Amino acid sequence: MKIQTLLLLLCMMLPQFSQADGPPKKQTYPEGLLSLNPGGELWSDIRQRGDSVLDGTSQVKGVDSGILINASGVEWANFRVNELTTYSSIALAAVFVLIFLFFLIRGKVGIEGGLSGRMVKRFTDYERIVHWTLAVVFLFLAITGLILLLGRPLLIPLFGKEVFSLLASASKESHNLVGPLFLVSLLMMLFSFVRRNIYEKGDLTWLLKGGGFIGDGHVSGGFFNMGEKTWYWIVILIGLVVSVTGLILVMPIFGQGRIIMEIVHVIHVICALALIVVSIGHMYMGSVGTEGTLEGMKTGYVDINWADAHHDRWGKECHEKDLIISAEEYDKLVGTSSVNEADGSKTT
Amino acid sequence: MIENLIDGPLWYLSLAVFSLGVLWQLAAILFASRKPDLSVARGSAGSSAIKTVFSRFLPHREMRARIGIQYIAGYLFHLGLFALLFFAAPHVLFLEENLLGFGWTPMPHWAFIVSAQAAFLGLIILWLRRLMNPATRLISTRDDHIAALLTFVVMLTGCLALLEEFTALRLLHRFTVELWLIYFPFSTLMHAFTFVPSRAFTGAWFGRRGVDA
Amino acid sequence: MSEKLEKGLEVLRSEVDGKVKSFFSSCVNCGICAESCLFYTETLDPRYTPIYKTEPLRKLWRNEYSLWGKFTSAIGFAKPMTEADLSDWEELVYDGCSMCGRCSMVCPVGVDIAGMIFKVKHALSKAGISPEGLVDATQRAVDIGSPMGITLKTVQAMIKHVEADTGLKIPVDVEGADYLALLSSNEIALYPEYLESLAKIFDHAGVSWTLSSEAFEATNSGLQIGNKTIAGQLVERVVAGAEKLKVKTVISPECGHAYTALRWEGPNFIGKAFSFKVVHILELLDELQAAGRIKTSGKEAERLTFHDPCSIVRRGGIDAQPRNLLQPIAEDFVEMADHGNMNWCGGGGGVSTNERAEQLKLTAFNRKKSQIEETGAAAVVTACSNCRMVMEEGVETNEMDIELLGLTEMIAAHLEDRPAGQ
Repeated sequence: MKIQTLLLLLCMMLPQFSQADGPPKKQTYPEGLLSLNPGGELWSDIRQRGDSVLDGTSQVKGVDSGILINASGVEWANFRVNELTTYSSIALAAVFVLIFLFFLIRGKVGIEGGLSGRMVKRFTDYERIVHWTLAVVFLFLAITGLILLLGRPLLIPLFGKEVFSLLASASKESHNLVGPLFLVSLLMMLFSFVRRNIYEKGDLTWLLKGGGFIGDGHVSGGFFNMGEKTWYWIVILIGLVVSVTGLILVMPIFGQGRIIMEIVHVIHVICALALIVVSIGHMYMGSVGTEGTLEGMKTGYVDINWADAHHDRWGKECHEKDLIISAEEYDKLVGTSSVNEADGSKTT
Repeated sequence: MIENLIDGPLWYLSLAVFSLGVLWQLAAILFASRKPDLSVARGSAGSSAIKTVFSRFLPHREMRARIGIQYIAGYLFHLGLFALLFFAAPHVLFLEENLLGFGWTPMPHWAFIVSAQAAFLGLIILWLRRLMNPATRLISTRDDHIAALLTFVVMLTGCLALLEEFTALRLLHRFTVELWLIYFPFSTLMHAFTFVPSRAFTGAWFGRRGVDA
Repeated sequence: MSEKLEKGLEVLRSEVDGKVKSFFSSCVNCGICAESCLFYTETLDPRYTPIYKTEPLRKLWRNEYSLWGKFTSAIGFAKPMTEADLSDWEELVYDGCSMCGRCSMVCPVGVDIAGMIFKVKHALSKAGISPEGLVDATQRAVDIGSPMGITLKTVQAMIKHVEADTGLKIPVDVEGADYLALLSSNEIALYPEYLESLAKIFDHAGVSWTLSSEAFEATNSGLQIGNKTIAGQLVERVVAGAEKLKVKTVISPECGHAYTALRWEGPNFIGKAFSFKVVHILELLDELQAAGRIKTSGKEAERLTFHDPCSIVRRGGIDAQPRNLLQPIAEDFVEMADHGNMNWCGGGGGVSTNERAEQLKLTAFNRKKSQIEETGAAAVVTACSNCRMVMEEGVETNEMDIELLGLTEMIAAHLEDRPAGQ
């Protein structure tokens, strides 16, 4: 409250500040006066209120070093503090509400006839390592990024300014350090999964039938279905945008000025938020949302009934090529049979 | 209070546990009785021991396709960690002021950042492989996971404190380092030292038999 | 505490030395050894990860020798070992490991994993936790002198046959001969052509040699089951025979286990150095050829490849000799992709005499199968009757069109005819 009152007072004392929009009319002085105040004109120029940006000279050589006050910065800061935080909070809240509603209505999407216990290999060790590397890096960046974006309105009231300043510094430093790893793991993801994620005939039907989550009818899918492919391309394409904008922000060594940084920052935040929002849906669908899906990313094997239900064309291939293994064989291969732990205790 | 503890007694305690623990283990290895081999040697055990200490840094040609990712991730992690440990500017300064009394040229900031990134990526991949591969999942013990987690936390708190502005963050980093040092001699982290005698023993064994190990 | 457990732990404790301490404190469970082991790569069963097979010894080290173990037992949190900690590993070390030692070559921290698996085998066999088939064979070796129950009579009958076939006299119990030749059970029972070849080659090269009526059996079942005491008893017989005949050198037959037992472990098993030299037959043949005492003629036209017996090459250091010997008699010789020190075992080794492991052995053979098929060879030459027998079985089961050849016999078949009178 105190701050707001203070700000209000400040605005009343400096009327020109409260009218940030619209260029001030230089020429219309009260009659008989050539200038209201020479200092005022200079101030207007420095504040970049004219049509042209005043680029002064400075002993310091560097990008934007001739600009004393960056007017667009205020606009950006306002946008960041008001619109960005508000809408991103709404988006995050909305996705949780939506998922909860979906869960209430649809429940856990099961498999007709249940799980058989007979498994097929879906992902190699390497593919799962790539997935989880990307996931770990992404989660870390999402959390630290959200602390930076929403920390002020959300965390200061909770922890106070002292603690938040610490948290913000830690988040910023680690976010910047880990950031480039997202691009590296994204490229690993791109190369190891791209072949199976190219759209093909039949994918559109999947979309038209709402992916089988709406209504009852079974929908056809290959190794990856239309929904998974689309999620893949969202990750790759938006992820690339987030990575590149992130690199532009973290490495101000290519002559990018403040305006570029501001625009890039806004793009970075919006794209990252989009990824976070969709990823929450992905996490839900991959774990609680559908029966038997998480297994594929945990052990690399999925139930054959799961494959038949969600990826019938691939499932058929598994049947034809005789790739299905028994429950006992599966236990053996994933190391859950007989002597299980290194300390020798038996589990089955 | 906490600050005094972490910068004072706990630091000395961890150093003592670390160095005494490591020395005790190495002594137990080197001074343990070994039966002499009575067979007639074909090759030199000594030179093979030394050679094997170095040759095992690279995988056999026959193995490369199978374990490539582990070697790449392993090197990213270990080289990154070593660079950080001994050449990051704050570490060099710390060692000079608190332990050694002399310093050396630290690496530039960008190299510091790149090393940290390499170490993080390497450790994450290695740890995930431990969890994803059925063989490593089966043989991994609680110790392996604690050691990986502690190392990860030490690296993470280090990177949280990058700005070097907040005492609390610096103390957090130092505290985790102290935990790591105390845990070290009790765990497989010991491999940082014992890999040398292990390779030498095996190199000597093969060397006596005239096998290039 | 049961008697078996007590005995097993006692033996395990006696096996913990500086090496074991170093090995276990440096192993980070990276799992690279799994990728080097044919029992893992062919079954993908994680329990066959080599370092996992050392678990009984490792657990003992963890409990009683590691700093952590000392700490936990000091505060009363130690988890004592049970008999299951030993008996659960019987199948892994006896069926799922041929002691080929490939894992010891690839370990990035340099752990001699195979060496430690042997220690586990030793403890299990001492505690009486071993497969029946192996126990029986070992008992026969102790009682009769041979795991296959071969007696002097069998050997004498074979000598008679060989003498009739070759027209050469086989020297038996010749005192003061330069060399004492030994035979493995397989070579007596399945491959009598080995003795025939020795007779021809030694006659050709003018080597002074003999067999012993007391020490003809080189197969060491004690080594196979992992029992150092029995292994030592069997080695003593050879030593006694060699000393009685006052030979300068004992020739180990092609058999890999026999070679390891005589050349490398024998003196340690019996606790004293030998008064004679031990050479492998391939070493001797290579020496003779290099000295010009073996002259061959003609070459095998078909494509050949060589299977390196693990005990002779990777754990024996005889790598160049078989290649030198093959070079003059093979027209089209190709190496397998992984050969020499990094060759893959054929599934035999320590497992070969363990009937219970038959199926697993054949699965493990798949590695050898694809290795052979990659070369496009029509025949595989090897220098170990055990390897040969196991691979012949694998080739038959898989209906492969591959011939198995013994290197010594190949040399004998290509000896240059000497002009009469020489």
